[in-house]
Amino acid sequence: MVKPASILKTMPVLAVLAGLGATFALAGPIEDRQAGMKQVGKAMGAFAGIAKGEAPYDAAVVKTNADAMLAGMKQAFANFTPGSEKGPPETYAKPEIWSDPEGVKAAEDTALKAVETMAATTDEAGFKTALAGLGEACKGCHTKYRRPKE
Amino acid sequence: MFWFLSAPRPLGPDAIPQHQADLANGALMFNIGGCLNCHRPDPANASANAGLPSGGAPLKTPIGTLFPPNLTPDPETGIGKWSELDFVNALARGLSPSGDHAIPAFPYTSYALMRTEDVLDIRAYLMSLTPVKAEDKPDDIPLPFFLRRGVGLWNCLGLPAAKWQPDPQQTASWNRGAYLVNGPGHCAQCHTPRTAFMTLDETRSLAGGPHPEGDGNVPSLRGLIERARYKDAKDLVSAMQFGETFGYDKLSSGGMGAVQTNLSKLPEADVQAIAEYLVSLK
Ligand code: HEC
Ligand code: HEC
Ligand code: HEC
Repeated sequence: MVKPASILKTMPVLAVLAGLGATFALAGPIEDRQAGMKQVGKAMGAFAGIAKGEAPYDAAVVKTNADAMLAGMKQAFANFTPGSEKGPPETYAKPEIWSDPEGVKAAEDTALKAVETMAATTDEAGFKTALAGLGEACKGCHTKYRRPKE
Repeated sequence: MFWFLSAPRPLGPDAIPQHQADLANGALMFNIGGCLNCHRPDPANASANAGLPSGGAPLKTPIGTLFPPNLTPDPETGIGKWSELDFVNALARGLSPSGDHAIPAFPYTSYALMRTEDVLDIRAYLMSLTPVKAEDKPDDIPLPFFLRRGVGLWNCLGLPAAKWQPDPQQTASWNRGAYLVNGPGHCAQCHTPRTAFMTLDETRSLAGGPHPEGDGNVPSLRGLIERARYKDAKDLVSAMQFGETFGYDKLSSGGMGAVQTNLSKLPEADVQAIAEYLVSLK
């Protein structure tokens, strides 16, 4: 049986699959930013599939996923709220998220711009260049501001 | 007794083989060794010395903040005056030319497994760089002398007894991968848990555990295929080469991002060798 909590967690993804492109506010800031980031990761998975040749390049698919990624990112970035440094639920955001607001803002802006660049691509060459920039943006922030999970 | 046990054991001149330096191999070993990640320039003059291992950037460790020294060939503040033997003793024994023990945040217990020729090539590569004058900055927890000697005691337990030995049952590529992972790549320094003596727990080699810098946990590198982390060795190769750009999400936090950048610069055959070795670990 699927537990209600896990249904809730998959809702943003389901919403995207249904083509709504909307995100849902969940229980609290930690849940909300993690759900947002999961949606970002899911869209990244779609891009990766194209880059690795597992799925054909399709401009419409790229655009849909870029839009979903942008929504997920905005939801995540809006939820690094003061007071949500510690869970439960377990959070992997490092304390630097709150002690270095300027650095975080720069990392967020870089990432948002990289998604917008991706959304504006119209051919496969442009897609590949945009993907490299996007990957660096995720890595740049996770290197400084996220703890490893396991 | 303590003194005797922990007295420094420098290598002698006969440890240095006849060797024609290979700068390209030195650059490769410097890269997979991650030397620049720790010996990067002080943020204050990072733009002037970008890409040069002039040292001075803070390195946070559980015992305090260290400032890895200048590795450029400046004669006063760098390694310009170091002999080949001085350099080999630093990497294989953690000993400075004056005989002081380095703090093992410098991962020499892995570098000790390296072929001496590869260490000499790193030195040749460093000597070919632009010298930078950058004074050594005192560490934030200057260890008293007796404690430095305590590091020597630790050494008796933590230093491997011999160089890396190839396994004749395995392919040349597997052996190359095993060497890069265990020697210069020093992957074990994060991916192998530690014993109560802070030495690597070889019975749980690369099995993951608490992060040595107290930053969450480090995942296991065993059973990567069995646990469905990666489809096959080829998938792992593309993860190490492209990381987050190809949607692999566990290759950037806790210091792994810099390692993955270094892995992405290796020749493809070396990344394949590392993957062949890693997927053989069950
Ligand atoms: C500005 C910083 C920042 C950027 C940019 C960023 N992330 Fe994250 N990401 C985080 C933080 C912080 C967490 C941990 C959140 C938590 O646990 O509270 C995280 C978590 C994640 C997770 C795990 C979610 C979960 O809970 O399972 C995924 C997947 C992820 N990010 C993917 C991405 C991808 C893909 C990109 C780039 C397209 C990206 N992120 C860009 C900061 C960032
Ligand atoms: C994980 C961080 C780290 C990495 C990677 C690293 N070093 Fe260091 N290194 C240090 C620290 C910290 C010190 C200073 C130790 C001390 O003060 O006792 C140091 C010291 C040294 C010294 C001086 C040793 C002494 O006894 O005076 C040399 C030489 C050196 N490193 C070379 C290298 C080379 C070459 C590489 C790459 C193959 C490398 N290091 C990679 C952290 C690192
Ligand atoms: C500074 C510590 C450190 C060193 C050195 C290091 N790693 Fe890692 N590694 C990590 C951490 C932490 C993670 C988890 C990162 C995350 O979740 O974002 C990781 C993750 C990985 C993963 C992904 C595991 C998975 O379950 O998907 C692989 C593969 C890997 N490392 C290989 C290596 C190899 C090969 C080396 C040596 C060349 C190495 N690592 C050296 C800290 C390190």
